[in-house]
Amino acid sequence: MSTDKNVMLIPKIESGIVIDHIPAGFGVRILEIISHYTQVTDTIISLGLNYQSQRLGRKDLIKLQVEYLDPEIIQHISIVVPGVTVKAIKNFAVQNKVVVQPPHEIRNLLHCKNPKCISTTEQAIETHFKMVDPASKKVKCVYCERIFDLHELKLKQVF
Amino acid sequence: MKKDLISMDDLTLDEIKIYLEVARRIEAMPLPERLRVLPGKIMASLFFEPSTRTRLSFESAMHRLGGSVIGFADQGATSVSKGETLSDTIQTIENYVDIIVMRHPGEGTARRAAELTDLPVINAGDGSNQHPTQTLLDLYTIEKDLGRIEGITMAFVGDLKYSRTVHSLVRALMKFNVTEFYLVAPEALRLPGYFMMNDQPGRYRFIETESLEEAIAKCDILYMTRIQRERFPDLLEYEKVKDSYVLSHSMLASAKADLRVLHPLPRVNEISTDVDHTRFAGYFPQTRNGVIMRQAILSMHLGGRI
Repeated sequence: MSTDKNVMLIPKIESGIVIDHIPAGFGVRILEIISHYTQVTDTIISLGLNYQSQRLGRKDLIKLQVEYLDPEIIQHISIVVPGVTVKAIKNFAVQNKVVVQPPHEIRNLLHCKNPKCISTTEQAIETHFKMVDPASKKVKCVYCERIFDLHELKLKQVF
Repeated sequence: MKKDLISMDDLTLDEIKIYLEVARRIEAMPLPERLRVLPGKIMASLFFEPSTRTRLSFESAMHRLGGSVIGFADQGATSVSKGETLSDTIQTIENYVDIIVMRHPGEGTARRAAELTDLPVINAGDGSNQHPTQTLLDLYTIEKDLGRIEGITMAFVGDLKYSRTVHSLVRALMKFNVTEFYLVAPEALRLPGYFMMNDQPGRYRFIETESLEEAIAKCDILYMTRIQRERFPDLLEYEKVKDSYVLSHSMLASAKADLRVLHPLPRVNEISTDVDHTRFAGYFPQTRNGVIMRQAILSMHLGGRI
């Protein structure tokens, strides 16, 4: 009965994208991120919070009535909450699904923390980081070559 | 081969060995023959930050290969002081020359410049990040002095936190299967942990010690560095550590017979002059090797005939 109850809370979608297995508490954060991208400006979006999950205990989920998600949005999600599942739905069935992995490269999304880095002092440079250790989420700035923990870097735009 | 020389991290072991081989060939060449390597080529020498050795040795290297040099040694005399962006500077100067050699206090500047131009860009130092030409000449010096690089024991002394020379050389030596590093530095100037990062835990030994004598007794190369006043935001901190390690002749009594003392220079007082005329002193030949290695670099990146 609990599954039916969930269906009543957020209806199944005929086609669209479901972002699933979001650790409870991060649903609002992801919604906040994606709502700033023009791709989803006029899209119908549903947000579900605190669903029961075998894997996570509690999880959040988001459903969007769009055909696909921009790679930019997925890159952004992968930095904030890697490990979520993105499912493509067609005719009420899952057509395709991917688990969002931490990114190998992050372009123009994060600020370098090094005040002497050329990417922080010169205008018109896209920042660029490479993942050097996915396990500990350490990234290296392509310009100044400093290595940072991913979580200590701020996003370029204020969302 | 690669268009640019930006960072030692971009080079494989085989590529580094090619630079060493070309340097050996250049050194064996008679001087008149060297003058025919790069005739008619022009090098831009863009030094946005003061430098004596690197700039003059690059300029000397280019002249002695038959090429010529234009550039500046102080950005105060250029349009940069009027607020010109790096992008505009590079896109202007690229019309005048065949290769760009640059030093800049901004970290990552050489990589950025390389993105902006189709000409080869050689990094002659970017802040406290990389100084690959110094690293290549250091490797050349070690190989000449000891006859090998693989398996040696290294000691680095002094400013291991801000010294880009140390940072680049440590990473390069790891590629050469150098596994034992003595790191002698005051607490505030220790080597940042991420330079010791590698994917083979247990293979490399980094022995941090405050005892210079312990390192002298164990190492094949004693690499001294200057405590760099200009890198300290707080001069009081500089005063606390500036005289931490001073090497004198008597301290080398326990050294291995073929130990070499190297130093990227300039020195202040970290090596007493009584070391200069001992068999251990390798730092002046090291500067001579600087011209040879930079000739190798210029000729390789400009397609010179060697």
